[in-house]
Amino acid sequence: MAQNNFEIITNNPLVLGKLRETHYVIYHDISYEEILKEVRDRIHEGHRLLSHPLSGSVKPKETPYKSIIITTGKGMEPDIESLELIENAIEACGKFAFKADLYGAGVYKDFQLIDWTLLKSALESAEI
Amino acid sequence: MKLEMGYIHIKDIRFSEESRIQDGILYVSEKAVRETALEDEKLKSVSFDIARPGASVRITPVKDVIEPRVKVEGRGGIFPGIISKTDTVGEGKTYALKGMAVVTAGKIVGFQEGVIDMTGPGAEYTPFSKTLNLVMVCGAQEGIEPHEYEKAVRLAGFRVAVYIGELARTLTPDETTVYETCGLKEGIEKYPELPRVAYVQMLQSQGLLHDTYVYGVDAKRIVPTILSPTEIMDGAIVSGNCVSACDKNPTYVHLNNPVVHDLFEQHGKTLNFVCQIITNENVYLADKQRSSDWTAKLCRMLDLDGVIVSQEGFGNPDTDLIMNCKKIEAEGIKTVIITDEYAGRDGKSQSLADADTAADAVITGGNANQVVILPKLDKVIGTLDYITKIAGASEQTLHEDGSLEVELQVITGATNETGFNKLSAR
Repeated sequence: MAQNNFEIITNNPLVLGKLRETHYVIYHDISYEEILKEVRDRIHEGHRLLSHPLSGSVKPKETPYKSIIITTGKGMEPDIESLELIENAIEACGKFAFKADLYGAGVYKDFQLIDWTLLKSALESAEI
Repeated sequence: MKLEMGYIHIKDIRFSEESRIQDGILYVSEKAVRETALEDEKLKSVSFDIARPGASVRITPVKDVIEPRVKVEGRGGIFPGIISKTDTVGEGKTYALKGMAVVTAGKIVGFQEGVIDMTGPGAEYTPFSKTLNLVMVCGAQEGIEPHEYEKAVRLAGFRVAVYIGELARTLTPDETTVYETCGLKEGIEKYPELPRVAYVQMLQSQGLLHDTYVYGVDAKRIVPTILSPTEIMDGAIVSGNCVSACDKNPTYVHLNNPVVHDLFEQHGKTLNFVCQIITNENVYLADKQRSSDWTAKLCRMLDLDGVIVSQEGFGNPDTDLIMNCKKIEAEGIKTVIITDEYAGRDGKSQSLADADTAADAVITGGNANQVVILPKLDKVIGTLDYITKIAGASEQTLHEDGSLEVELQVITGATNETGFNKLSAR
């Protein structure tokens, strides 16, 4: 799949810094859960999910960062599988206590790094 | 493929001038294991400690747990493609040191988990409170990137485990068990009446601290394939993941996978254990689609009657699990899936992030959100610096009396999804 066929929605400044010159990155300084909801809104517009919204084992609300790949192109109807995945992910957020504001500055960099390596593994598949 | 496993029971570990195993006691030269660990110049320091069952000791943050083994006959060596040169393993003779483990710990990133308590209520929740643990806490050189640090710690653990395993090469095992698999045609002829059953093992494969390696290959880059189940006993699969440590498979679990051992126990009696199929849990959805398609295809081509599927992790692997289950069932093959649950602290929330009516035979390893109180212990190997900030911990984690309130998520192996621990539900 060519690079211009997908876009990345993220709240991770590390991802923005690494990819802004080469990829279509939509960056918002919002919460993990709000990123999921932003993606859900785009799926309703006809975009499809390309990476899993619950990537990684660092739990929602523990890491503040989330990067998700969706199609640039839009279908006529919302993709049901994408909708199910994103709705289940938003629901899963409810199970975790919020503690993403408990960490020191260095730890946020580590969370950014983990989110970046998770995204990178998906990009490697997307760009074959 | 036929593998004879020789088990040597270790009764104690002691530091000594010279490394050797004598009368069931493992004597370890600290100098020798330090040199072995520090062969990698990316590591600046390593400290060794011994944690015995029942001792007032907490080990954290745990990266991996490894059982020392040595290949004494047959092709290849332990951890092929990683420590030993690449060669197909799983036949011949291998010795394992039972009752002990090498445990690696190190900072790597600033949020950490992986707790092993050797006594108290925490010890009840981890299988590694019952092993004599040789713990190595690894420190990195200044300026090393986290992924280089992670790799250095991972490989240092394997080198030390192999060094210790070698000490058993000329010993006589206390017990011996033979594991043997048949070729396809041979199995059909030998056990015509028995159901053909395979084990589908899903491997975590997503990024830093979320990876697994097969013969040295990053599992993200494999397509589903077939192993002789004896291959894992020589270290064909190793761990590179420990985030949310309750449901990640340390290398020790891969070496001793209870699904494989239990299927061997029934092989030729109630079923024909045909093979192990390994697949991955990637982030990219098309990879999930392809891997589950291929897994189901392999099951069909092998004319299986039933499979056991084990998951590793939670969240997005739930999608892989359900895809595998649905597609294999659609081929007319019965499935039993093994997972764990994130059902909330009260256990009332939806347990999995995905579900399907095809998943009508489900085994759980327990609820990872379950809260436990871990009392203050006398000694910490590693550091408690991160324990207030780990998965499942909260702002009230550290109580005034020094006890910790945490979810099972933080305890290494607590809700293991191969059934390596003892939690479940009815």
